[in-house]
Amino acid sequence: MSPRGLWTLVALPCVAGLLWAASPSPPVKAPAIPQRIVSINLCADQLVLALADKRQIAGLTKNATDTTMSGEAAKARGIPLLSNSAEQILAIEPDLIVGMPASRSAALRALPEHTYPLLDLATANTLDEIYASVRQTAVAVGHPERGTALIARMESELAGLPKPGKGRTAAYYQRRGYMTGTGTLIDELMTRTGLVNLSGKLGKPPLSQLSLEEMVAAEPDFLIVESATDKVNDQGSEMLHHPALKDIPRISVPQAWTVCGSPAYTQAARSMATQIAHIDGSRS
Amino acid sequence: MSRFALPRWSLIAALAALTLVAAIASLLFGAVDLSVARLVDAATGNNDKVASIILFDLRLPRTLLALAVGAMLGLAGAALQGYLRNPLAEPSVLGTSNAAALGGVAAIYFGLADIHPIVLPLLATGGALVSLALLFVLAGKAESPLTLILAGIAVGTLAVAGTSLALNLSPNPFAAMEIMTWLLGSLENRSFDHVWLALPCIAIGTAMLLWNGRALDALTLGEDAAQALGIDLRRMRLRLLVGTAIGVGGAVAVAGAIGFVGLIVPHLIRPLTDRSPSAILLPSAIGGAALLTLADLGVRIIPTTNELKLGVVTAFLGVPVFLIHLMRERRIW
Repeated sequence: MSPRGLWTLVALPCVAGLLWAASPSPPVKAPAIPQRIVSINLCADQLVLALADKRQIAGLTKNATDTTMSGEAAKARGIPLLSNSAEQILAIEPDLIVGMPASRSAALRALPEHTYPLLDLATANTLDEIYASVRQTAVAVGHPERGTALIARMESELAGLPKPGKGRTAAYYQRRGYMTGTGTLIDELMTRTGLVNLSGKLGKPPLSQLSLEEMVAAEPDFLIVESATDKVNDQGSEMLHHPALKDIPRISVPQAWTVCGSPAYTQAARSMATQIAHIDGSRS
Repeated sequence: MSRFALPRWSLIAALAALTLVAAIASLLFGAVDLSVARLVDAATGNNDKVASIILFDLRLPRTLLALAVGAMLGLAGAALQGYLRNPLAEPSVLGTSNAAALGGVAAIYFGLADIHPIVLPLLATGGALVSLALLFVLAGKAESPLTLILAGIAVGTLAVAGTSLALNLSPNPFAAMEIMTWLLGSLENRSFDHVWLALPCIAIGTAMLLWNGRALDALTLGEDAAQALGIDLRRMRLRLLVGTAIGVGGAVAVAGAIGFVGLIVPHLIRPLTDRSPSAILLPSAIGGAALLTLADLGVRIIPTTNELKLGVVTAFLGVPVFLIHLMRERRIW
């Protein structure tokens, strides 16, 4: 744990109490089933929406209803959206705040007394980490059985997934030439569908920038792009439509499925496998 | 007559040679190291797919745009300095480039450019035209050359603020990055689509500005004398205004607002000529092409994690040279 994180725990005993909330013997303060849950992170929004009852949720982040960013956006309709301000949280008096991690939130630090139960989720970069945060959230919102069921469903959806990539190279290429590297959810999705991440081959960090020239010279077998960039709407996305890239087949995945470790992981994996098979089919 | 004055055609030939060297260097260097032999192979149609894509789809359009945009900006600077009889006049100082960028931004970020590709240069030209008209109205009859520069700063600042506002209002979460590209200029990742968009505008603008050589010379004697010599001042002003707007509009639509080129180049060229406005028009265009191509080469060669913006390099290249000239020539102006 970082010194900063340690400090937070020492300085705010209530936070430490919270972390125990996920364990079998809940502390006195946190109610068994929270009724006014506030999520202060887009990724936490998706887990809370997937696992809690709608009436339990008192507030989500402002992007929670954006279908291009969240796989659970449809469920978020009608729930108040907060702009990460301390005032709004104060007014709700939540009995559970979920964040990634919640204890580092500037809005919460601005509150005079940190008396709210918090659930700190870690950023999920692998499927196992997704399962772990599903389990943690399910327990914290008072429905552990839903977590178990969701994980079982995801496992069965991934069980029969083919690996059509057959060891070919793919690059996850973002606007302005950013490329996603190893140790990320995208990288794991590539491995799961049988692809090899170009970034790993080139020895690049988790997020690097690769010019068009370098991309052409690297000759990847596939480009994976966010579906939001399928249409040119600014100079950043225009780059991905440069004629120099026209011969590299594309796999397009909505950002809503990949930006967070969420139940939508299985949709992303299945969509990628289908698209690879489709590209191969149209070639032969 | 300056003591450095070269015969007109030898100056043009020397500048053209420099431009050619810059253009060839621009084709040879890039993010990927490709040997000259491989590039020559690709150029002669051998079956090297990677090299031919890099050469023809990436480096060639970029080089052509650097040449054309640089020529346009250099020429616009020379023509505006001649017409306004003000050594600081040029598209970026007078706010024309920024106003064109505002037009371009409006076209792209509000989806108007989807209607037809021509909307982009059209709106950029419109922005430039409005700013120039505003400028001439604000400072046209003023005695002091400072009035014009102040009016230009006002127009330019307004356009920059408008650009930022438009980007912030548009549904684009990456606005900050985009604002920077538009305001500092870049030729990164341009394709032949951009060449076809910009080149016609730049050709029209260049033709309309080069036409004015004799009239600009006559104007150095004063407006009355020029009229006595048979110059139609109103038509000339219209040609200058529209020519600058179309040319700069087309250039900015694909490259953003690149500063300083139009300011530096005529100052560098002037001592090598007889200092008449007509003598610096064509050399400024060629010199501008060379300067911007070299600056764009610098952008690619200087090792930075993110590619430098072109306006940063033109500023670093241009301002010292410009300052030296300013000190040396203070008495002449």
